[in-house]
Amino acid sequence: MPELTDKIREVARSLLRQQKVDLIIGFERGTMPLRSAPCFVRREEDVDRLIWDSFCENNLAKYLVKRAERVAIVGKGCDVRAVVELIKENQISREQVFIIGVPCQGMVDRRRVEAKLDGREILEVRETGGELALKGDGFSEIVNRDEFLYPCCKSCTHRNPVISDVLVADAAAELDCDSHVDVAEFEARSAGERGEYLSREFSKCVRCYACRNACPLCYCQECFVDSSWPQWVGKTTNASDVVVFHIMRAFHLAGRCVDCGACERACPMGVDIRRLNRKLVKDVKARFDYEAGLSLEQAAPLSTFRPDDPEEFMLNP
Amino acid sequence: MRAKIIRKEDIAGLLESLMGEYEMFAPVKSDGLVLFERISSASEVFLDYQNSLMPPKQLTFPQAETLFSYSSAKGEVKIEVPHREEKPQLIFGIRPCDASSFVVLDRVFDGEQYKDPYYLQRREKTITVSMGCVKPRITCFCTSVGGGPFSTEGSDLLLIDIGDRYVAQIVSDKGAQLLEKRGFRDATEGELALAAAVIEAAVASMGPGVETDGLKDKLDSRFDDSIWQRLSEKCLGCGVCTFLCPTCHCFDIVDEAVDSKGERIRIWDSCQFPLFTLQASGLNPRPTVKERFRQRMMHKFSYFVDNYSRVGCVGCGRCITECPVNLDLRQVLNSVSRLEGVK
Amino acid sequence: MKNPYLPVPMRIERVVVETEDNNVKTFSLSFLNKEDEGSFTYTPGQFAELSALGKGEAPFGMASSPTQPWCLEFTVNKAGVVTTALHNMEVGGILGVRGPLGNGYPIEALKGRDIVMIGGGFGFSTLRALTNFVLDDANRRSFGDITVIYGARSPGLLLYKDELEEWQKRTDFHLYLTVDVGDEEWTGRVGVVPKVTREVGPSSENAYVVICGPPVMTKFTLPVIKELGFPPDRTLLSLEMRMKCGVGMCGRCNIGSKYVCRDGPVFKLAELNQLPQEY
Repeated sequence: MPELTDKIREVARSLLRQQKVDLIIGFERGTMPLRSAPCFVRREEDVDRLIWDSFCENNLAKYLVKRAERVAIVGKGCDVRAVVELIKENQISREQVFIIGVPCQGMVDRRRVEAKLDGREILEVRETGGELALKGDGFSEIVNRDEFLYPCCKSCTHRNPVISDVLVADAAAELDCDSHVDVAEFEARSAGERGEYLSREFSKCVRCYACRNACPLCYCQECFVDSSWPQWVGKTTNASDVVVFHIMRAFHLAGRCVDCGACERACPMGVDIRRLNRKLVKDVKARFDYEAGLSLEQAAPLSTFRPDDPEEFMLNP
Repeated sequence: MRAKIIRKEDIAGLLESLMGEYEMFAPVKSDGLVLFERISSASEVFLDYQNSLMPPKQLTFPQAETLFSYSSAKGEVKIEVPHREEKPQLIFGIRPCDASSFVVLDRVFDGEQYKDPYYLQRREKTITVSMGCVKPRITCFCTSVGGGPFSTEGSDLLLIDIGDRYVAQIVSDKGAQLLEKRGFRDATEGELALAAAVIEAAVASMGPGVETDGLKDKLDSRFDDSIWQRLSEKCLGCGVCTFLCPTCHCFDIVDEAVDSKGERIRIWDSCQFPLFTLQASGLNPRPTVKERFRQRMMHKFSYFVDNYSRVGCVGCGRCITECPVNLDLRQVLNSVSRLEGVK
Repeated sequence: MKNPYLPVPMRIERVVVETEDNNVKTFSLSFLNKEDEGSFTYTPGQFAELSALGKGEAPFGMASSPTQPWCLEFTVNKAGVVTTALHNMEVGGILGVRGPLGNGYPIEALKGRDIVMIGGGFGFSTLRALTNFVLDDANRRSFGDITVIYGARSPGLLLYKDELEEWQKRTDFHLYLTVDVGDEEWTGRVGVVPKVTREVGPSSENAYVVICGPPVMTKFTLPVIKELGFPPDRTLLSLEMRMKCGVGMCGRCNIGSKYVCRDGPVFKLAELNQLPQEY
């Protein structure tokens, strides 16, 4: 998306020139086709590294925690929601962050594109309009971008950054969909079916913690997994330890997870991690009428006590 | 080279005939991922792949391994090492980079002073039938680190795909034994020439990779350079690169017990994890991502050379393709080498 | 093939609380199986991994000298899960021991030389082993002048108090004890170890200096040592790192290409100066 790239560079250049920020966190071209990677720009001459395309999948809010400098961040809808939560949790102050908001059209799931090509290696990709032109050794194919979006993008109802200091494009049309329909469908399955599905998924987990480390809201100095006294959960790949790790992490993110999908994308084994997080997103919405990251003024329900908080689990166990 | 011919349609038969004698492992497509798994039928084998997601290192160095179980009663402690299954294991369809990774791991676990019986027992009963890479990936850089798409290091047999058949290069006696008395004919001069052409083309197709000229000395002398801060800035500090790396061998040892009975288990660990070097006093010699990231590069390309006279990397490229933030080791090492690129 | 991960069971014969805050205890151990004794020949400076089965293992330098009638001693500071579990054990308790590991002090190189030992805090335990080793009747004549400088933060935190009293009566070596801060009963020296080292000013001629203590003490003692003329290849340091396997395979205790468990824990300063300063 060359127009967005130009606009982002323009904003970045101006911010550095006017010394409004010390650092700009954005994206640059990756070292392989279908990859763009986080990029840290501190000097004007590096501004032209910044780009915007359908592969800017990382949640850059991850890099904001406890920064001392003034920083600008190129954020899509989900990234900015994470920034909002981080501000509310005092991990960075609003004054320190300059939000370059990007109304997002969704990010392309590179693994599904690769799977579509059935093992043929993609050597070049060109994005034009809503199409990806893929080229490899002896083949060239065009795919429709929208067909290959990440699942979290397909059900995203917050494509537009909820706050920003500058928007680099016109607002994107929000999808009109029930973003919890998959959760309801899963809830409707029997306990046995759900247990079997989750066991199978988590049997793939190798405890690499990419999910935790990619998540912008997982910023604890010492993660509960690393606590040895008390030891909350075992560190081996024992099936119940693995599931307990994921369940506990999901609960630690309840009311804070913005469903950006960074965890799922980081997982090398393709574990369906968001299955747990989305259940909690739905429950928090139902019980507290709250969705993470939508407003700086809205207090986070699980760290705020209100006399009218739902308590039927205590009164009617 | 000593080589036999195996037609592609005969591979299934060969595997089936070996399945009685060996526990067989081969690439299998599972939930969209290519992994090395135990197979019970040749039809499960999936060869239309460039490399597996997980390296087969877990076949000699599993993610979790019980070192011993124990039980303690008054005044007495019984320690029992788990009984190892005796059947040899055959890894079919392994790539040359992964095959040579076993040779790299041997340097660590088969030391002069100390030997690891758990690794060695599995290693000794492992036989590898490797599949050379006709089409290396753009992220492969085995040729930069002393390997190649048809390198024979660590293989007992190496299959070279020349179209409708394989030239099966016999690398070791174990490999020769596999094909013995099964009626495979010797490869002709013409077939060997075809194989040589395939190998040449594959090597020529490989990208620039890592500049290894004087790399170790440059890494050593640039240890304190400020470039490491910039290079590691986007690193998340997760363990993907280390867990997917065929030569990474760091591990943790944990005890799991219920009352007076328990087990001591070895599990994969990662130098990227913050607790890896944390001392009980609270001192951590590698307190931030920068030190930990640098450690991985230094270990593989300098310290390993000091200790074992070879680079501790086989160039498989998994750390490049799977890193969530596309932190590319080739870019990192070349930047340190040239001390440019990232300011 | 010897399995380097298997601990042998040892019985706790004696527990001595060394410090007034009860955080440091010395355990004297005997082998449950007599045949294990023969394979456990060690040099001062080596260490062993002690197992509190069910909790884990941790490395401890040998606090006893191989010249002492058979016993293995370890001085344990209560700092975490394993050490707390060890502290909760009583006489008669069984723990696991894996060792001896590491390189130990270079006894052969020290022969015929004067030796200056500088220890601080719990780091003194392997120097205590070395002191008892060189003072032993069978060994004393192999070594020259022996000087031991040992400091603790306060008098109550000095280890091996009974032994120190005995040592102070000896005339075949020089012992300098010091504390950072004294108390009402302390009549001895007061001053941090680096300062006391400078005051004592041991001669570096034909001498080795062996330092074992907390990083901060080492950091400030090294310049004094240098001033006194000890060259880096006659300056020995015993280091510690987080360890697990103890045999150079799990990858965590390295300083550059050297593993503290396998190539150390005793290093010449000359060697350390060639390594990345990451410890």
